[in-house]
Amino acid sequence: MQILIEMKEIIKVFPPNVIAVDKVTADFRKGEIHAIVGENGAGKSTLMKVLYGLEHHNQGEIYLAGHRVNFQDPGEAIAHGIGMVHQEILLISQYTVWENIVLGAEPVNFMGMIDRQRARQLVQKKIDEFQFNLNIDAKVDDISVAAAQKVEILKLLYRNVSVLILDEPTAVLTPQEIPQLFNELRRLRDHGHTILFISHHLEEVLTLSDRITVMRKGKKIATVQASETNKTDLAQMMVGRTVLFTTLREKSTAGKQIFSIENLTYIDGAQHKRLENINIKIHEGEIVGIAGVEGNGQFELVNSIMGLIPTKEGSIRVNDVNLTKADILERRQYISFVSQNRGKMGAAVKASILENVMMTHHRLNPQFTRWKGLLLNDQYARKFTEQIEQQFSVVMDQMDNPFRSLSGGNQQKVILGRELLLSTPFVLLDQPTRGLDVGSIEYVHELILEMRDQNRAILLISADLEELFRIADRILVLHRGKIVADLPTDQTDIEEVGYLMLEGKENDAKETD
Amino acid sequence: MQRKLISGIIGILIALLIGALIMLVQGYNPIQTYAALFNFSLFGFYPLATTLRNSVPLILTGLSASVAFASGPVNLGQPGQLLIGALFATVGGLYLDLPAFLLIPVLILLSMLGGALWSGVAAMLRKWFNMDEFITTLMLNMIADFFTYWAISYPFFDRSAYSPMTPQINTNGWLPIWGEFNSNVIVMVLAFFVIYLVFNRLTAGYEWRITGHNSLFARLGGIKIDKNYVTVMLVTGALAGLAGGLVVMAGPHRFLKGLGANYAWDGVMIAVVANNGLIGTLLYGLFFSALQTGSLGMELITAVPREFIQVLQAVTVLVIVAGRGYLDILIDKTIARQKARERAT
Repeated sequence: MQILIEMKEIIKVFPPNVIAVDKVTADFRKGEIHAIVGENGAGKSTLMKVLYGLEHHNQGEIYLAGHRVNFQDPGEAIAHGIGMVHQEILLISQYTVWENIVLGAEPVNFMGMIDRQRARQLVQKKIDEFQFNLNIDAKVDDISVAAAQKVEILKLLYRNVSVLILDEPTAVLTPQEIPQLFNELRRLRDHGHTILFISHHLEEVLTLSDRITVMRKGKKIATVQASETNKTDLAQMMVGRTVLFTTLREKSTAGKQIFSIENLTYIDGAQHKRLENINIKIHEGEIVGIAGVEGNGQFELVNSIMGLIPTKEGSIRVNDVNLTKADILERRQYISFVSQNRGKMGAAVKASILENVMMTHHRLNPQFTRWKGLLLNDQYARKFTEQIEQQFSVVMDQMDNPFRSLSGGNQQKVILGRELLLSTPFVLLDQPTRGLDVGSIEYVHELILEMRDQNRAILLISADLEELFRIADRILVLHRGKIVADLPTDQTDIEEVGYLMLEGKENDAKETD
Repeated sequence: MQRKLISGIIGILIALLIGALIMLVQGYNPIQTYAALFNFSLFGFYPLATTLRNSVPLILTGLSASVAFASGPVNLGQPGQLLIGALFATVGGLYLDLPAFLLIPVLILLSMLGGALWSGVAAMLRKWFNMDEFITTLMLNMIADFFTYWAISYPFFDRSAYSPMTPQINTNGWLPIWGEFNSNVIVMVLAFFVIYLVFNRLTAGYEWRITGHNSLFARLGGIKIDKNYVTVMLVTGALAGLAGGLVVMAGPHRFLKGLGANYAWDGVMIAVVANNGLIGTLLYGLFFSALQTGSLGMELITAVPREFIQVLQAVTVLVIVAGRGYLDILIDKTIARQKARERAT
């Protein structure tokens, strides 16, 4: 097959210094389904956005059918036959299917008005050509997400796009809808279209695609034929070296109970049960992991524990102190918290490193203030920041620089250091390694184990199963707001937990009793 | 700090240059005009004293806006808070008979109380009805405007006057003047130091600043952001009220129609130019006051109308604000490009 698109040594740096795409060279052939796989933050979306003209690369060249191109915006890319469907559906819900499809490229009659009849005919022709099975007069509001996604694809086909970039198209679909999408994509390929398919689900990638490009931390690891590889190899390439299958767990001797949640139920403003009858007990020196697909109640669980949302049913205790109704400051005497979103919850990125390090300590540790808490003790705060810098080997220039001047790994070290030194009996970690590079991840894991050795109780919420299997003593599976399994890590495996995460308990009664 | 100072000076120079171009297009002599402008505002004891005196309401309302914006609340009620503060000081000065060393502090405190009361209304509306202070403070400005107008037209009207104004306050409440130097400057400097100390050295100020940066982070850190919100509203209201009180006590010694002038909006503008920095507010406040003070002399000597100063102010704001954002983006992009080039080789 002939090579249609060539990307040569593409480098994209997000200002000021995040390398999103690191010297990637890849080619895409005419009439193939080419998957781009990698973990979150591997740079696969950015690479595709560069091709689509939505992001501009700093270095490197792009060739389309042998000619060098450099799209300034998506409009140019579409004019050259390259289109992208984003993860979120971007349609006008009040418009009908055909109106959405022609929007921006409407056929007009001699009076300059939209030629409705011709527009509908053109859209219908495209639908018939690719057997898309859509009612063109339905309002987008009334159709399913899968159908809306088809409308997005048709929008591009209507503009005669021959290269389709799909950014995690299956993320919004139910399992039953996925095969249908795949059939349609295969049909498009057989018509000579090129499909570039971003995903991190290895199984679907293997069933659908012809070739697979694996990315990790902004770099391309390899491009392989789908028929010549398997899931394990792909996973190894995606995650990288040793991280797979090594475990840092030791037999911990569980002591007295530190943390407990009893019968916690949370119903949100729209009367949806986000958490149902949650029971969690954690003993000293124990790491309990929560596994689950994002959006299954993790957010509400964290917010309930931290006191961001009121708890009406159930109770939360640390060291036999009932914190169910306590204000946040009182909770913080017992709970250290590392959030999954450093910029939103974990730090004030424009404030200085020093100011970020002081947070909470300035209220709980009297040495941080003078005059009965009125005046800040700047000297002590500086000494404390130096201590964090050394103890957690943070690479920083000056502590008065803004927090965002630190790299992601160093930011997380500062946050972890701050929380660790609060010396609370219970530690809540919400995806503490999200977006970090491999080296930083290992360091964070060591820190977590250190906390465990100090006999703290740790609740670790993670979307990364390997992380859980690496350090957690027990794994609880959260599915649709319920804990569907409580498994000692050495008595289960990734497949079982993965299955429970996706399907819940009903389909797997034998394993969870 | 140094970078801010340099970019501020460059910004002002560019703004003056643009102003010169505008004058040239209109056929005026820019050098002569600027010479007149700064002769009447900076060079000499009298011009400098007048600039300092005039800067007081600008800097105080500017501080009010800076502290509010940097801490989160979008308090845009400085005009109303200034008027209510002025009214409180005036009424106190009309009815209280105390020796000067008591009356002056009492009137100062009264004006702060008035301002705080007015911003407190907005704070309570937010607390009880979840109404955005962005809207309520603006609405309260209008109410304050007409309420004070009514107050000086009826209950506190000076019967000997032909337009709405109160009688003069007790002379013991007049701020002392030494030659041309008005002691309202001393009060302003004191207020600046107190606010600077609170904002940068006290635990409370730290919490305000962090809340202004990221309120969710602050909340999760154990900071009581709702309580701090009310405190910040009261403090910034008091600052704007103080500006009003000082206007009365330093100048006409009575509340007359149009007393608030455009001080408070200029103050908000100064806070924006200073990017909510306290020292920046002080310096830009002095600069804007110099422009406004010199404009009278400029009009006297040259043919350039006084309104030109408003153009110059607007140009300064645009150049500095745009330049600040652009400088950061430029630096970030340059670093990114450099890094990409390093990788490529």
